[in-house]
Amino acid sequence: MIDFDQIDKLIHEKGRLSIMTLLSTRGEWAFQDLKTELGMSDGNLISHLRTLGTAGYIKETRDESGTRPRTSYELTAAGRKAFKDYVEVLGEIVKAAQQT
Amino acid sequence: MRQCTLHHKVSLASFTLSAKVIAMSTTEAALENLRIIRSLMEKAHIYRAVSAPAALTGGLLALAASAWPVQHALATQGGSLMSPGTFLDLWIAILLVASSLNVLLLAIEAKRRGQPFVSEGMRMALRAFAPPMLVGGCVGIGLIVFLHNLTLAALIWVLCYGLALLSTSGFSPRSLVRLGWAFVIAGLALFLAWAANSDVRLLSSDEAPASLVMGLTFGLLHVIYALAVFLTKKPAEVRPK
Repeated sequence: MIDFDQIDKLIHEKGRLSIMTLLSTRGEWAFQDLKTELGMSDGNLISHLRTLGTAGYIKETRDESGTRPRTSYELTAAGRKAFKDYVEVLGEIVKAAQQT
Repeated sequence: MRQCTLHHKVSLASFTLSAKVIAMSTTEAALENLRIIRSLMEKAHIYRAVSAPAALTGGLLALAASAWPVQHALATQGGSLMSPGTFLDLWIAILLVASSLNVLLLAIEAKRRGQPFVSEGMRMALRAFAPPMLVGGCVGIGLIVFLHNLTLAALIWVLCYGLALLSTSGFSPRSLVRLGWAFVIAGLALFLAWAANSDVRLLSSDEAPASLVMGLTFGLLHVIYALAVFLTKKPAEVRPK
C-alpha cells in the first residue's frame, strides 16, 4: 500500500517539478535558459527557484565577471536525492494502480 | 438501531469512494508528472552538432572550390584542373577549416551556457556520427586514391554525411534532421542521374561532375541550412532585472 504522504509536495507542483527535472539533466542552468525552456514569466520562475532554494534543493551561483551578471542554478545533493525519491514514489504509485 | 447501521454503511461506502477517487486522481497526477519529466528530459538533450556559422563558412568554401573546376570544364569541354590527389587534398582542407571553426563555435556556445565543452550531447553526437563518417571517409578516399573515381567518392561522402546527420535525429533540432534528409535525397538523386548518364560517366576526367556534386550538396545545402537557422533564430533574450 502506497502512503501518499511520501510524495514530496514541494516537487509535486508542476512548475517546480519542471525546474527540478531540467536541473537533473545537466550540471548547471542559467536563469535565462531555464526561462526559455520552460516558458515561465520572470516572477513565476524566481518564486519557484526561491522556494526550491529555501528547501535546500538547489544552489544559486552568481557570476559578475562578464559585462552582464549571470545567475545559474544547480541541484544540491539533497535536491538530487529528493528528486530521485520523488520519481521512485511516482513509479510505485503507477505500478500499484496497474496491479489493482 | 437499524437506522444507525444504515448510516454507518453509507458513511463507509462514502469513505471508500472518496479513497478511490483520491487514489485515482493521485495516479493520474503521477502519470501526468512522469510524462512532464520524460518530455523535459528529452527536450533538454537537444544538441546542435553543426553550428550555423560554420555551415555557412564551409558551404561558401565548397561553392567556391566547386565552381572553379566546373567553369574550367565548361570552357575547355571537359578539361581538368587538378589530379585526383589534389582534388582530395582540396576537400580535406575545406573539411578541416569548417570542422575547426565548428569545434571553436561549439566551445564558445558551451562556455556561454556554462556547460562543459565535452557535454553528454556532444558525446551522443560523436557516437552517432562516427560509424557513417568513418565508412564514408575510408570508402571515398579509397575510390579516389586507388580507382580515381572522383564522382562516386563525392556521392559516397554526400550519402554518408546525410546518414550521419540522420543518426543524430533523436536529440538534434529539426533543422539538422532536415539537412540530413536533404543530403540523402540529393545524394540518391545525383547518383541515379550520374549512373543513368553514360556521357558523364565516360568523360576523360570526372573532376567537373564530382565538383558539381560537392558544390550542390556540401556547398548549397549548407548555405541554405545556415540561412534557415539565422532566419528562424529567436531574438536576443533580455536578462531580468
